Amino acid sequence: MLSVANLTKRHPGSARPVFSALGFSIAAGEIVALAGESGVGKSTLLNCIAGLELANTGAILVGPQAQDIVRLDEAARAALRATTIGFVFQAFHVLPTLTVAQNVAVPLLLGGVAAGEHAARIEALLGRVGLPGFGPRWPGTLSGGELQRVAIARALVHRPSLILADEPTGNLDPRTADEILVLLLERVREEGASALIVTHSQHVAQNCDRILTLTPDGLQ
Amino acid sequence: MSAPRWQLSWWLIRAQFQTRRTATALSMLAIALGVALGYAIHLINDAALADFSQAMKSVQGEPDALVAPQDSAGRVPLALINQLARDEAVALVVPVIETRVRIGELTVRLIGLDVFSAGLLMPDLLPRQGESIKGGGLFEDGMYASPALLARLQTKIGAGVTAMRGDARWSTHIAGDLPAARPDDLLLVADIARVQAHFGPADAVSEGRIRLAPGTKLTAWLNTWAGKLPPGITLRAAADNQARLSNISRAYRVNLNVLALVALLTGGFLVFATQLTAVAQRSTQFALLGVLGLSPRMRLMQVLFEGLAIGVPGAVIGLALGWAMAAAFTRLLGGDLGGGFFSGGTPAIVPELLPALGFFALGCAASLAGALYPAWLNRVQPLAQALKTGFAQRPPSGRDDALRPRAGKAIALALVAGAALALTRLPALFDLPLAGYGAIALVLVLGIAVAPLVTQMAFGAFARRELPAAQRIAVQNVMQAPLMAQVAASGLIVSFALTVSMVTMVASFRVALDQWLDVVLPAPYYVRSKGVPLPPQLLAALERPDAPFARVERMAAGALNLDPRRPTVAVLVRELDPANPGARLPFTGEILAAPAGAIPVWISEPMQELYRLKPGQTLRLPLLGREVEVFVGGVWRDYARQFGAVVIGATDYRALGGKFEATELALWPHQGGEAAARDWLAREASRYGIEMAEAGEIRALSLDIFDKSFAVTYALEAAAMLIGLFGLAVTLAASVWLRARELATLSALGFNRAMLTRAVMLEGALIAAIGLAVGLACGIAVGAILTHVVNPQAFHWRMELQIPWLQVLPGAALTLAAGIIASRFAALQATRLPAAQVLASAQ
Amino acid sequence: MRRRSFLLAPLLLPAFTAAKQPAVRYAAASRATRLAFPRDHGAHPDFRTEWWYVTGALDTAQGDAGFQLTFFRSRPGLAEDLASPIAASQILFAHAALTLPGKPLLHAERAGRANLGAGFSSADCDVHIGAWSMRRSGTGAAEQFRLKVADAAFGFDLQLAPTQPLLLQGENGWSQKGPRPELASHYVSWPQLQVAGNLTLDGRRQPAAGRAWFDHEWSSEVLAAGGVGWDWIGVNLDDGGALMAFRIRDAAGATLYAHAALRDAAGRLTQFGAGEVSFTPVRHWPSPRNGARYPVQMAIRCGPHTIETMPVQDAQEISAHRPLPVSYWEGLVKIRGTLSGRGYLELTGYAGALKL
Repeated sequence: MLSVANLTKRHPGSARPVFSALGFSIAAGEIVALAGESGVGKSTLLNCIAGLELANTGAILVGPQAQDIVRLDEAARAALRATTIGFVFQAFHVLPTLTVAQNVAVPLLLGGVAAGEHAARIEALLGRVGLPGFGPRWPGTLSGGELQRVAIARALVHRPSLILADEPTGNLDPRTADEILVLLLERVREEGASALIVTHSQHVAQNCDRILTLTPDGLQ
Repeated sequence: MSAPRWQLSWWLIRAQFQTRRTATALSMLAIALGVALGYAIHLINDAALADFSQAMKSVQGEPDALVAPQDSAGRVPLALINQLARDEAVALVVPVIETRVRIGELTVRLIGLDVFSAGLLMPDLLPRQGESIKGGGLFEDGMYASPALLARLQTKIGAGVTAMRGDARWSTHIAGDLPAARPDDLLLVADIARVQAHFGPADAVSEGRIRLAPGTKLTAWLNTWAGKLPPGITLRAAADNQARLSNISRAYRVNLNVLALVALLTGGFLVFATQLTAVAQRSTQFALLGVLGLSPRMRLMQVLFEGLAIGVPGAVIGLALGWAMAAAFTRLLGGDLGGGFFSGGTPAIVPELLPALGFFALGCAASLAGALYPAWLNRVQPLAQALKTGFAQRPPSGRDDALRPRAGKAIALALVAGAALALTRLPALFDLPLAGYGAIALVLVLGIAVAPLVTQMAFGAFARRELPAAQRIAVQNVMQAPLMAQVAASGLIVSFALTVSMVTMVASFRVALDQWLDVVLPAPYYVRSKGVPLPPQLLAALERPDAPFARVERMAAGALNLDPRRPTVAVLVRELDPANPGARLPFTGEILAAPAGAIPVWISEPMQELYRLKPGQTLRLPLLGREVEVFVGGVWRDYARQFGAVVIGATDYRALGGKFEATELALWPHQGGEAAARDWLAREASRYGIEMAEAGEIRALSLDIFDKSFAVTYALEAAAMLIGLFGLAVTLAASVWLRARELATLSALGFNRAMLTRAVMLEGALIAAIGLAVGLACGIAVGAILTHVVNPQAFHWRMELQIPWLQVLPGAALTLAAGIIASRFAALQATRLPAAQVLASAQ
Repeated sequence: MRRRSFLLAPLLLPAFTAAKQPAVRYAAASRATRLAFPRDHGAHPDFRTEWWYVTGALDTAQGDAGFQLTFFRSRPGLAEDLASPIAASQILFAHAALTLPGKPLLHAERAGRANLGAGFSSADCDVHIGAWSMRRSGTGAAEQFRLKVADAAFGFDLQLAPTQPLLLQGENGWSQKGPRPELASHYVSWPQLQVAGNLTLDGRRQPAAGRAWFDHEWSSEVLAAGGVGWDWIGVNLDDGGALMAFRIRDAAGATLYAHAALRDAAGRLTQFGAGEVSFTPVRHWPSPRNGARYPVQMAIRCGPHTIETMPVQDAQEISAHRPLPVSYWEGLVKIRGTLSGRGYLELTGYAGALKL
């Protein structure tokens, strides 16, 4: 489902690469934790996989068609994200000017899912992330945990094959963090998607199928 | 774009409008204002022009061609009319004798018609015999009056009437009316032969209106007659009349429209400021959408859509507003925008689809143009970075403005300045000062481009000094946020520059007009009749020894058609000393003595420029039905006749065989006899229905008309200034908002709200000061271009540049104060949020 | 022959007829006048009314075509005292019409005052309104009339060459029009003119040839009371002869006065008095425009000759508008009976009485 080969990323103007010659793959349905110290390049790697930043060399094959995102242009990368990848962020990033339901609908709109399906899918998914009836509410009235549930619903609503999560519980108190993690993993497995979860948390990592640790010398 | 994406687009637009109501409404209003002003000006002028040309059409019909004398004192011989009538390419020649006659105190147009031909071309003028009238209709003695004239004369069909012109008089009765005459027209119609028998011209008519046989090519036909016409007669396409009519007010209209365009431009600026801040504020949101799969093209398009979402309603409101303004204006003040070209009557405002669409498109284009750069910025935002740290002012391209050598920038600016200077040297295009307008645009561009340099230089020095914390923050912000500062300043630069330039131009003109009036009104009293010669009885009375005047100078005015597509040139026959014409005319240069035997004339500045003449040259004028060779003895300044005037001495005119029938008098009373002279004149004037005025009254009236004619431009300036201030407030608010986190951090570090507010206000004051300083410099430059390039090219008015510091500096102070108030408003908005919330929400 | 004074009167209403009794003294048609040509082809401005009138039949591939051009001169007695060369003392009108097989009648008109876009000569036939003109020129074999008409829908430019001498109607061109001898005109006809030239239809020019009839008549006296209209015919006979006949009708349709003249191919002229001439309607054509019933098929008796008119088409009514509306029927007819040929039949006073 995700296959990274010989990946090197160097920031412009910087002599030392962030990482070089990385290689790994994630099978369909596999949930992998990405651990590592701060500043080691975990987010950069995630950004490269999502096509938000371009790797200097190597290949990243994503999705059922195994498209190499490194070789796609910007518009194609955006289209690939819209159809195949779901995101969960540490900072939630729920759009404050859209309702909960509208926030969840965004990937459906961008992924070109038929309009007739939207309402039912959104309602069902909100139920499954524990927010039944939250659709018309505004994000400003929600707690951090609720916001992240919205974000999880949004990450899954268009049935992506790969979920990328960047410290999804980093902004939450420990109790809520546990709930959210369980929810995220359950829903990902339920959808049969693969996931790569960047985390500092041992607890999170242990709940995944596999742990990759990024160090300045490469993946371990 | 698919329907779901429209849905998303719409959600974002709606959200944007809901969260930024004030800025959006202001931008919309600015666009609406620009569109409304432009559209209103267009509608009013169009209506006035249509009304004017309808009036002309009603009286003149719609011929294909006209045969007319070039000199208003000339005539078209009957032989030529008959020759033209027999031309097989001609379907119809309608001869007309047109003159002005005095009826009691009223001056009325009298049209002599040949019903046989006129019925086909000018049905509006066909007379109807009164039912009470017995007799042979139009061919018998009698006149036909328009309903308006009957009402004005308070007379009725069957009543006696006496028409006078100079020595000639015709006593007859009103035999009927003109049922199809327009409601405002004061007209008399009679049989052409009757008019000729009483008022002339013998063996000739005033004009022939020609309709060509089907299939005849107008231009080719005109060419066949080119060499065969007697001297002093033109045969021209009637469409030229339309062109001439529109030419009369064209420069004035274009000028007003350029001003309206400026209002629109400032509106575009406001959209720019709004959309730029909108993009900056939502950079995280857009980054998120990008991550979720919104394509880069859509990130660009979304901002453009939002611009359009401001522009479309703005333009629609503007059209409605413009229409309402035009309707209200014409109802209250008539069709004259102050140019004095159209007067009387209330023209109907008839909106047509195409111009409305044009102005709608202009409004949309302005908002789109304003959104273009923000849209591009949004398109190139680095997603991952924007998601984390927010808006990047400088796009992440390899090119870095800061690294570009200053010398390169300076060279570019120097090139723009050079181009602007070069444009001011170019002549008018299509009789319009297009290059001048181009130069003005370049000056404004230059001002905007130079602002960051000035900022860095001025505040660089400032920043190196020891300053209290709040001030230091403000100075650093201005220096470090060049983009936002530039946006805020450029709105002010443009609007202040335009205001200064207009004030400068108007002040220069007013001073020049004042001085000019001193020279052209040497006598204490003036008498004038409208188009008819002054009554011979009055002239005789003035020559009697008991007349209370020491000196009387007579003048007659006529018109020459030198170019069929241009309005006529005034011919002023004056009793002046040929050896010293400078005593009566404000010459701009040397006065040349005519060689022996040559007839000297003195031409006005507009005539010199329109017909490219030089003092000292000889000129062939189509005077009195022939070509007369005259010597150009000098050029005099004339602010009264935009299309040129030529002065010839009365003695010379008589020697040429001209009939000197005075229409105007300048009168000098005896020393100490002013009161008696005034009474005497007032009595005579009311007896003959002519106008008398003291020099002071004429002067006051002229200045009053002048002020009225610039009233509209003041309104436009006020609008521009207001929009500029809006822009400042919006941009400042946005730039403060962008730094909310920084301000919150400062506040967490111990700055209180008052200190923060003060810092933001100082920042606003600094930006406004720079904007005003650069704007002032640009304004003076633009004022100079208006005075020395645009005015001479558009109106052929030349004058000295006067900078009215007493108006400009208080204006600048006022704007600075307004700017500081606007930034206080921005600061209050930004510091209203509790620091903790800002810090938390910003991650 | 005064038939067109009926026509002119309403055209000039109200300007002329409502005038106070004119101060002008018109010349009267005199039996003693000896006509001289070309001088008497020209205008006679001392008389009240005058016309030059050409009708003709043209041979086209589609069948019989007809054309007509009339110039009227009128001196209404107005503006006589006015010191102006363009005083409306002499006024000209012109009517032109074209009858084409299977097509609606084409008609156009012009009006103007002398010296102002229109004019006439008193020395020869040379009359024009704008670019419309009728002009005689040349002598002997080169003698011809030139007719020029141009309107939006049609035009013609024709040369008419004499094949026979002039025909002076009545007594040497003095033609009595009523029972009283004052009611008379000077009347000259020129039948059997050879036509050559071209027609212009919708901007396309085509050659034309045929036979025409020229009339020139001037008079001052208005017809006796009781007359409402007249029937008139002029025929170029196939054998080279020429027939002219007219009658004046009253309101009941009874004949007030009639006259006819026949010149045979050999040039022998026979005149028929009122008692020898009769007009009998055979078939009427109702005008869809105004309901007038025109006896377009008419049996005419002149002494021993009996003929019948067969219109080439029924709809040959002319409705002129300038300066006032008037309708009459004037069209190309074929003649059968004891004589045969083609001519023009004129029927006036059927669309309402032409009142003065």
